[in-house]
Amino acid sequence: MDFIPGGELSRRIRDGDVSAEGELIRQFEPGLRVLLRRRTGGDYGLLQDLVQETLLIVIQRLRGDGIDDPQKLAAFAAQTARNLAIASLRKAERQRTDVDSEATDRNADPTQSVDRIASDHEAALAVRAMLRELPQARDRLMLKRFYLEDHDKELICQELDLSEAAFNQALSRARRRFRQILEERGFAKRDLLSLGL
Amino acid sequence: MNQEQIERYVVGRMSEAEALVFEEYCLANPEFARQVEYEQRLKAGLAQVASGSTAEFVRSESPLRWSLAAAAGLLVAVVAVLSIWNSGTHAPAATLLAAISDGTPQTASSLRLALVRGSENVPALPPGLVRVEIVGLFEAGNLYSVALDRREQNHKIDTIATLNDQRPTSPMSLEVVIDSKQLRPGPYSLRVRKQASGEEALDFGFVKF
Repeated sequence: MDFIPGGELSRRIRDGDVSAEGELIRQFEPGLRVLLRRRTGGDYGLLQDLVQETLLIVIQRLRGDGIDDPQKLAAFAAQTARNLAIASLRKAERQRTDVDSEATDRNADPTQSVDRIASDHEAALAVRAMLRELPQARDRLMLKRFYLEDHDKELICQELDLSEAAFNQALSRARRRFRQILEERGFAKRDLLSLGL
Repeated sequence: MNQEQIERYVVGRMSEAEALVFEEYCLANPEFARQVEYEQRLKAGLAQVASGSTAEFVRSESPLRWSLAAAAGLLVAVVAVLSIWNSGTHAPAATLLAAISDGTPQTASSLRLALVRGSENVPALPPGLVRVEIVGLFEAGNLYSVALDRREQNHKIDTIATLNDQRPTSPMSLEVVIDSKQLRPGPYSLRVRKQASGEEALDFGFVKF
């Protein structure tokens, strides 16, 4: 897919080109997911909501007033996403300090809960499958230390008697296999968004 | 941007200023962003699996590898037993289940226990005083409890000895001593649990003939 510069996307959307809106979504959605994943603490439902909300705000802005510097469209979208994440966090904090449990039950959205669980489930399923295939316990221990316990590569190599090359090779193998499993099971495709614009 | 930066971003080692630049690069490079998201999902998946139990990190040993290890363990046990039989000496009396310490009496044989997915072979406990190496994923700073259970025919489980506050001997093993002659024939298991945690215990079965 060719990358379309922000200036061109902004101009086309302002001119009413609907296909440009589709291009903007395809272009920015993966990056927004990365940014918001880091700020939503594993809450998949919230991540989806904020990605959609960001894209809606950006597109509506481009349809209307436009932005000051169209060349910096990516930076504008990123900042919009960050602002939404901060607002959402503040809202959640307010709710934690003043919870009306009956109201929470009444307003619970079961589809969002199911979706959230399903997302976690998919990543966990793929990890379990990947761990089963790793031939050495040392590789699994290495992944745990690196991703979850925040240990330095150097320290892990030292503790597990690994060379840096062997560490990188094992990490790369695990990543590749994890991605393959997600793709084989169709989990990667669930990331596609459908926006009602 | 490279893999090293992806790792630093995902594990949270990037400064806020660097992270802002990294994120804008992701927005301008969707294929790169997809690569980053896989890394984020790998981390999230590992966290979820680890939050349930560390069992997933230890239950997938290659059957061939552990078959060889079991065969080697059996060979060691047989040689040790023959050696004792030939010399006419006996291991000194010991408690049924004991920790390894400086004062641990000389053991006659050893047994290595590991969880092997799909394996139907239950390892046999050699006679005499046996040094048992439990292979798993252990955290050096944590204490573990080890319970010795006897499995009755009616599926009843009878805990006959427990050791608390055990430290792993390495990140992948924890060792105890079992006095085989104090056990009557039948199926048993060693249940290992990380203390002060909600993690499920790992069960390592064996049989005494």
